[in-house]
Amino acid sequence: MDTNQNKDTAKEKEKDKDQRKIKSAKKMREIMTTYYLEAMTARENNKKIAWITSGGPVEPLIAMDIIPIYPENHAAMIGASKMGEDLCVKAEEMGYSSDLCSYARSDISCAQVNGGPIGGLPRPDMLVCCNNICGTVLKWYEVQARYFNVPLFILDTPVCHNGYSPEIAAYVRRQIDEYIVFLETVTGEKLDHDKMTEVGHLALQGQKLWQKILKTTTHKPSPMSAFDAFFFLALIVTLRGTKIAVNFYEELAQEMEERVQKGISIIPHERYRLLWDNLPVWYQLKWLSQKFSDHNACLVADTYTSAWCSAIQYIDENKFLDSMAEAYTRIYLNIGVDEMADQVLDMIHLYDVDGFVMHSNRSCKPYSFGQLDIMEIVRKKTGIPVLMLEADMVDPRNFSLSQADTRIDAFMEIIKQKK
Amino acid sequence: MIFAGIDIGSITAKSALIQNGKLIGTLVIPTGYNPVTAGEKVFSDLLAQTNITPQDVTAIVATGYGRNSVAFADKAMTEIICHGVGAHFLNPKIRGIIDVGGQDSKAIALDKAGQVENFAMNDKCAAGTGRFLEVMAKALEVELNDLGRISLTSNAPSKISSICTVFAESEVISMIAGQQKREDIIAGIHESAAARVGSLATKVKIQSPVIMTGGVAKNQGMVKALKNRLGIEILVGDFPQENGAIGAAVLASRLSL
Amino acid sequence: MKEIDPFHIAIKDPAALAAGIREKSGKIIGYMCSYAPEELIHAAGFHPMRLFSSKSEISLAENHLQAYCCSLVRGVLEDSLAGRLDYLDGTVFPHTCDSIQRLSDIWRLNTNYGFFADVVMPAKLNTASARAYMTDVLKKFKTDLEKAIGHPITPADLEASICLFNRIRKNLTRIYELKSQSPGIIKGIDLFAIVKGAMIMDRKELAQRLETIVLLLEKKDPPPSSAKRIILSGSICDMVDIYSLIEVSGGTVVADDLCTGNRWFEGLIPVDIDPLEALTARYADRAICPAKHSGNTVRGEALLALAKTHRADGVIFALLKFCDPHAFDYPYMKEFLDKAAIKSLHLELDDQQQGQGQLSTRLETFMHMI
Repeated sequence: MDTNQNKDTAKEKEKDKDQRKIKSAKKMREIMTTYYLEAMTARENNKKIAWITSGGPVEPLIAMDIIPIYPENHAAMIGASKMGEDLCVKAEEMGYSSDLCSYARSDISCAQVNGGPIGGLPRPDMLVCCNNICGTVLKWYEVQARYFNVPLFILDTPVCHNGYSPEIAAYVRRQIDEYIVFLETVTGEKLDHDKMTEVGHLALQGQKLWQKILKTTTHKPSPMSAFDAFFFLALIVTLRGTKIAVNFYEELAQEMEERVQKGISIIPHERYRLLWDNLPVWYQLKWLSQKFSDHNACLVADTYTSAWCSAIQYIDENKFLDSMAEAYTRIYLNIGVDEMADQVLDMIHLYDVDGFVMHSNRSCKPYSFGQLDIMEIVRKKTGIPVLMLEADMVDPRNFSLSQADTRIDAFMEIIKQKK
Repeated sequence: MIFAGIDIGSITAKSALIQNGKLIGTLVIPTGYNPVTAGEKVFSDLLAQTNITPQDVTAIVATGYGRNSVAFADKAMTEIICHGVGAHFLNPKIRGIIDVGGQDSKAIALDKAGQVENFAMNDKCAAGTGRFLEVMAKALEVELNDLGRISLTSNAPSKISSICTVFAESEVISMIAGQQKREDIIAGIHESAAARVGSLATKVKIQSPVIMTGGVAKNQGMVKALKNRLGIEILVGDFPQENGAIGAAVLASRLSL
Repeated sequence: MKEIDPFHIAIKDPAALAAGIREKSGKIIGYMCSYAPEELIHAAGFHPMRLFSSKSEISLAENHLQAYCCSLVRGVLEDSLAGRLDYLDGTVFPHTCDSIQRLSDIWRLNTNYGFFADVVMPAKLNTASARAYMTDVLKKFKTDLEKAIGHPITPADLEASICLFNRIRKNLTRIYELKSQSPGIIKGIDLFAIVKGAMIMDRKELAQRLETIVLLLEKKDPPPSSAKRIILSGSICDMVDIYSLIEVSGGTVVADDLCTGNRWFEGLIPVDIDPLEALTARYADRAICPAKHSGNTVRGEALLALAKTHRADGVIFALLKFCDPHAFDYPYMKEFLDKAAIKSLHLELDDQQQGQGQLSTRLETFMHMI
């Protein structure tokens, strides 16, 4: 091949790569930067800051002009910037067992040393903890409540092993009222119920848009992958209930639809479609994404990002505070393993996937325990191959690259054989 | 009066004799597979060396994992206590001990009077112990005794970021295949072990001056890696391996029999 | 003391004990968490039996729970899958921690002992709404039990059970008191056998035996003890050896803050209010489990108070590996003790690990330090 042909191939490759890039990513980064900057300067603007769990009821905070900060989102950033190991080690030196959740370990030590990629989070004026995602957050937030000496509100959402009982409904509903009282006490302001309705409306709208975006990947080839979803997820988590989130997701949805129309695939050659389970391995996303892409496999959907639109069915815009109880209690991690398996089967069918990749995440017991049973159910009912990757979301010491490499290769060989 | 200390470790057995508050002899031999005979031998060989008879010895304290195998000892005490006493005896200023042996590693914090204030142990897995270095030496086809020297010649230690020896070994093998420089990999191994051991030290809030003991203290690469990890001077002293036995002998002298 | 022998026999072979109960037409409901409403289970005519791992090698449970799961949960699942728990007529899963939460589902999907109930107690215990919810949960559980037995649980039944359990608790508390006053009065392994036995034996028989033991102990002239006074703090301590190891090293356990100890039996059920509300009060007020919340420093303060009340020379944290709630509390609780100049030792226990030598080394060193 002569050099001119080489240059053309290189140029084509560049053009192709450029076309595949999701344009909205740039805007997303800007929005997140602004969001964090506002949080850092909250005090100067007389705004209060609340640290809240990822499954926590953020809408009343938005309605009361309190800036929500998500230590979990920040911990993901710590993982992605490969700063997790140091911070986890520091937490262990503080006496926290290395077997504890790496989000919690990173955040607890980060608060003390102001580490991490943005020099630490701004101090909270209050802590809001909802245990719908796990019991770890309860303990984590107790630690921070002691450390920062600020009021802590706990929204206790009992596990719905077998459906949403009237007892649970009554309990959580009462706590929503207690939550509002808590916020009003800490801020000294009253909740504006009209504003609350507006925020509720925007929250629902945002979630519907997020759902729309996630559904575009049913298209073959897929316009984006789970790795992109991990990135774009941040807004529906941190800014749910704001116009900013709605506007952005409208743009992203539009871009995805255009890509679908033009048949733009996120990976160069999509031959195999996969489903991802559990949180991301934040410090190895690039490697994982490339690894699967090299096998012409696209992770078209995942159970983690879809959790932020699974509550849509329970939300009643006109009775937002009322319906919050059910919406926050019946999330993916707060139901029985059999119900989770049903949702996984639905996704396998909806996205027409050839294989299932499960991240056995050492840090997350509610997500990881039950995976083995779900794996069996998936194998029995669909016959698709299932890969289990042992890792951790933020602590790289629990991950062996060569092990993962071998497993992925073996898994893909099986899939290729079957197809 | 003469007092004896015997330390039965997993790889070596050590003995020490003290007379009139002065150290008069020490010995190190391999433990082999029988701690009972090792205890007898390390004691009798040292006596022969120093021309002392068993009857001359007033009291004996045994320590180490095999301390209860020394039937002729008057008392058995843990190696943590013995290391603390030994280090303090040799240098009363010492406030911290980092002991890295064949099978475990420990960090011991002493108060101003030389008493153990806090301690932490890693005796559940190989990472950060002599065993870890042994495994790596094998993987790299290097003599265990050369490991430290070679690590000091590296300017860019490789990053081996695992808490598991098995993981680390597979990473090292990948690095060898990836043709990373041998001395860099070796330096990386030392940093990884130092990270593990260093964590123990930070947990017990160790203060300077700190001394390193145990067989691994003879590894200059480890001493340097620990120094870098903790940001403090790490002393080694003249008796890194015998420190526990020396402490045991001192404790024997304090027994009221 | 021969009166303690039945307890040793019981805990040595729980399956044999269960067989004996079944022979007398008893039906057994197993549970793993000290928040299980035993009084209700008993009032329904069932025998409540706490489940502990037999510490057999894990192989079947590997297909359901990863290695980073605590040995209690994996071990009991293993026992179930291996057929060692076939004497059960049912199981009850109170809300405890994330691991138990998932075990409950896995258990429900893979076993079939007949009766099954999730009793999802609140994680908060310090608000009126949480207590109201707990009472609701107990009500629902009572209904589930009634369905299973085919007839209502009469107020008299419930009252009788509450009375019985109060008797048991009072006597266990008394034995602990006597131990603290004169540690030489009873050996650690005997006290362990009594408490563990109390969680699995027939409760009527148990109440009788405990009363006898208390009377005998009160009459006993205790040998003096110069052992170091130790408090054990932690979750499940099913390691009987730890008591003898502590005693051999020169210590003695004078009180504990264990899920399998004081936390399980502490606190009497009030008898002058509605029984379900009374149960709520007792379960909400008794020494709290770290998987629950009733304040940010409750456990630390309680431990400090315990150490002071019992004139402790040292505290040993006996924590189960992979037990998250306890591991999160440990650093601040240690700090509380440090500030009060009370020395403490941290032990990480695992059912599958039998590292006695390692345990001895730590315990001996600690006794020397305090």
